[in-house]
Amino acid sequence: MGSLFRSETMCLAQLFLQSGTAYECLSALGEKGLVQFRDLNQNVSSFQRKFVGEVKRCEELERILAYLVQEITRADIPLPEGDASPPAPPLKQVLEMQEQLQKLEVELREVTKNKEKLRKNLLELIEYTHMLRVTRTFVKRNVEFEPTYEEFPALENDSLLDYSSMQRLGAKLGFVSGLISQGKVEAFEKMLWRVCKGYTILTYAELDEPLEDPETGEVIKWYVFLISFWGEQIGYKVKKICDCYHCHIYPYPNTAEERREIQEGLNTRIQDLYTVLHKTEDYLRQVLCKAAESVYSRVIQVKKMKAIYHMLNMCSFDVTNKCLIAEVWCPEADLHALRCALEEGSRESGATIPSFMNIIPTKETPPTLIRTNKFTEGFQNIVDAYGVGSYREVNPALFTIVTFPFLFAVMFGDFGHGFVMFLFALLLVLNENHPRLSQSQEIMRMFFNGRYILLLMGLFSVYTGLIYNDCFSKSVNLFGSGWNVSAMYGAAHAPSERKKMVLWNDSVVRHNRVLQLDPSIPGVFRGPYPLGIDPIWNLATNRLTFLNSFKMKMSVILGIIHMTFGVILGIFNHLHFRKKFNIYLVSIPELLFMLCIFGHLIFMIVYKWLLYSAETSRVAPSILIEFINMFLFPTSETNGLYPGQEHVQRLLLVVTALSVPVLFLGKPLFLLWLHNGRSCFGVSRSGYTLVRKDSEEEVSLLGSQDIEEGNHQMEDGCREVTCEEFNFGEILMTQVIHSIEYCLGCISNTASYLRLWALSLAHAHSEKLAPSEEDDGEEETDS
Amino acid sequence: MLEGAELYFNVDHGYLEGLVRGCKAGLLTERDYVNLVQCETLEDLKIHLQTTDYGNFLANQTNPLTVSKIDTEMRKKLCSEFEYFRNHSLEPLSTFFTYMTCSYMIDNVILLMNGALQKKSVKEILVKCHPLGRFTEMEAVNIAETPSDLFNAVLIETPLAPFFQDCMSENILDELNIELLRNKLYKSYLEAFYKFCKNHGDVTAEIMCPILEFEADRRAFIITLNSFGTELSKEERETLFPTCGKLHPEGLRLLAQAEDFEQMKRVAEHYGVYKPLFEAVGDGSGGKTLEDVFYEHEVQMNVLAFNRQFHYGVFYAYTKLKEQEMRNIVWIAECISQRHRTKINNYIPIL
Repeated sequence: MGSLFRSETMCLAQLFLQSGTAYECLSALGEKGLVQFRDLNQNVSSFQRKFVGEVKRCEELERILAYLVQEITRADIPLPEGDASPPAPPLKQVLEMQEQLQKLEVELREVTKNKEKLRKNLLELIEYTHMLRVTRTFVKRNVEFEPTYEEFPALENDSLLDYSSMQRLGAKLGFVSGLISQGKVEAFEKMLWRVCKGYTILTYAELDEPLEDPETGEVIKWYVFLISFWGEQIGYKVKKICDCYHCHIYPYPNTAEERREIQEGLNTRIQDLYTVLHKTEDYLRQVLCKAAESVYSRVIQVKKMKAIYHMLNMCSFDVTNKCLIAEVWCPEADLHALRCALEEGSRESGATIPSFMNIIPTKETPPTLIRTNKFTEGFQNIVDAYGVGSYREVNPALFTIVTFPFLFAVMFGDFGHGFVMFLFALLLVLNENHPRLSQSQEIMRMFFNGRYILLLMGLFSVYTGLIYNDCFSKSVNLFGSGWNVSAMYGAAHAPSERKKMVLWNDSVVRHNRVLQLDPSIPGVFRGPYPLGIDPIWNLATNRLTFLNSFKMKMSVILGIIHMTFGVILGIFNHLHFRKKFNIYLVSIPELLFMLCIFGHLIFMIVYKWLLYSAETSRVAPSILIEFINMFLFPTSETNGLYPGQEHVQRLLLVVTALSVPVLFLGKPLFLLWLHNGRSCFGVSRSGYTLVRKDSEEEVSLLGSQDIEEGNHQMEDGCREVTCEEFNFGEILMTQVIHSIEYCLGCISNTASYLRLWALSLAHAHSEKLAPSEEDDGEEETDS
Repeated sequence: MLEGAELYFNVDHGYLEGLVRGCKAGLLTERDYVNLVQCETLEDLKIHLQTTDYGNFLANQTNPLTVSKIDTEMRKKLCSEFEYFRNHSLEPLSTFFTYMTCSYMIDNVILLMNGALQKKSVKEILVKCHPLGRFTEMEAVNIAETPSDLFNAVLIETPLAPFFQDCMSENILDELNIELLRNKLYKSYLEAFYKFCKNHGDVTAEIMCPILEFEADRRAFIITLNSFGTELSKEERETLFPTCGKLHPEGLRLLAQAEDFEQMKRVAEHYGVYKPLFEAVGDGSGGKTLEDVFYEHEVQMNVLAFNRQFHYGVFYAYTKLKEQEMRNIVWIAECISQRHRTKINNYIPIL
């Protein structure tokens, strides 16, 4: 199929849905998820569409369901979640369902309202008892702290007052008592003092236990206060202020007798209320439990129903109003399934005339559909994060399956760690059906979704780890090192050869801290290690220098290959879209530009690896200098890598320099030439948009259909293909921007690929320093 | 604050500025208004508003929908946004926000006092109060009988207290005195706000000062217009004019002497900013009212405020634009519900 290489071929289909069966048909289509609808009513605002009433009804149902769910969760009843998703309800059931839900809502609201009322009542009574309890101590205390009352002349004679004797002094002494929330006490006191100018006495005490606010349901700390005041005017103001601060005011009993009576009355009422409240709550729970059973599937059903009506709103009516016309994008492979779904939908609703479809040709670019499975999904997601390719473009996800884990592994090369990672991913893969995994937390879910990526990354890391010969940052000596230390001692060699060589003897070994193995001495280096890097490097002090040079060069080589591969993929696109000129005018100059500079660099690297051996390594030129000299044309003669290098480099530079103007101007000028020369040369099929083989036929077909369907077609504006105006400036601009980006990108990306080396270094280094920091390194490379 | 807000504005206020700019992008566009005007019922209006940034803010409202429900919900939304800004703000932006709420507080106090005068219950009026100008002491306003009472008892600890300097008097609060009180409060409020912005300097001053100058002048014009044919004396009238506008001082003196609309217009003609505004006013039948013209100019200034960065004006401008938008929606909703479609297009588009 190659469906991952290119996106699926799509076709535009027109569905003719009998208005009686449209709902069922769409439901059947929706269950299968086959098509993408196009909005045929773009010019119609959302409230003028055909099925607004139905959508509104769905919203009403959603509102009720949301209310139910809210009440259910508040009552701490577990919501059962069915696994299967129920299909959209048949139209006949909708009314029934609506009725049921509405009845349930009314009942629930009634019961909750009653419950709230009872609860509020209860809370108030509790507050009242608290207030009575606390204020009793106030009066006593007032008596003890005599001075407050001394200011009132009437009280002077009779200083030891209890409450009843104060009563005699006249009705003007009034009391207001109640509760106020903790935060407002201070402001309340201040305002009271300012307004009443000291004609009041405020006593307050904190309640030990926090109580629920009957209005908001919040549990807060309260203060009980008692205000004693003189005069009616002041009393009026005091009450106002109490209102302002939302105090809960309760009548203050005048005598001890009265207080006791009230207290008793309250106690019995509280008892009664408790029992009633319990009964109500039990009933409410029953109702909610019953509702909870079906609420989950109802929510899904209503959502589906709403979605169907949204889709129906995108359809247009035909002239006779008997038929709904929908335009959909459908993959060609699924057309059969689409027909089946339509038939099924019509059969279910028992319609006399079946709904049918026909395919209509179009010049518009269809949407991109790339089918994925659980393995490719993760990779496709990575690619989509950068951008979704247009229709039938080469999909890079296919190659990402290899390149992404490989490039990661180049940085993470350690087969111990790689193996651990592989095992972790394998664990995820083997248990992928476990429900806990797919519903886990954010980070875990990230790992879970990328489990196949992790798996491959682990595998590739094992491979690169073997190449780097790194296992938990230690080398493993599997095949025996290719270096032989004993050959460095004189005894191993024939006396005639000894003179030429710098050999080790006891004094050398004793006095030098660092010794060097010389590969040019026969027997010291016995050929390369069979796989990867020789484990002896692990002991060497110049290990880092050696690995750096190796990894740096490797990164550049990998990077250039990777980028060249990208350009080559572009050629596939041009071939597929029949734009050969793009190959000559864009892809080839691009390739030339890259290969003449960086290809040559790679060539030099490989050439140097091959040409110079241990004996000649001292005369090997530096590649860096050679590469720089390629641009600088030094006057002094250098000994290059190979004879005639200078001329080859000159030639390459000329090619590079020539490819740049081609890249900048080639395509725009060619298009201009095509545009101007079209009439004389008769190049009629050079369309810039996707043109199929039989496009002309189709276009004419499209035209005739337009005429047939007359006014109807004229109405939907979206059908009109926006034909591309030829705008030379714009094309030139795009191409110039593209070219600049490419040329700069070549250089900066090559530098960026050095990151492979840098991170690999960081990984190896951090392991060495502190094994505990391993995770950080992993995260870093991950990102 | 030192010059060069560009350097460290974002440290303290960058998040909020980003946020407010995002919110501003959610204001209704011309297209939205065109669609709203086509609505047949309030339900349609609701459906259309759901497709905008308002989202389903009306979803929990039970039927039938009324204009006042829409209005309350919109205000709540604005208020929650504003509270969010305010709770996350640092000095001096938080002081700026406090200044912004003051105008609503003044309105609320006056509303409550008027209500008390007409013997309406506090709860009834509280519903009508603007949520942005809500404060705890507000409900006790009707205890007071004179302005100084009001100050001493109720407002002394609110941000409104400093504005009371000029209006301490022992007059009984009747309708006229309340209106005078409002204007005096507003005058000192505007002057204080203007001073604050001026002292703050930087882009904030450059943006906010013209807006507040216009606000001051608008009040002066409106006061003059409303005082025609009332017992308000000319000297008294002059004391009500905010002095931080462009009209100060000559224009205000002339305005104080004006006796009808024509004379007022002549005063405005001396000023390049106001001349075109007065010329745009239609006469009697048809055409725009002076109020609408002022609103339009205000909208224009507020939209322009978004062209500069690193200043507090965006918050002010956003709130004002949002208010204008709410007025527009309410206007359209009223026209729809009263089946009075001829004037439905008289909303003020936000550019």
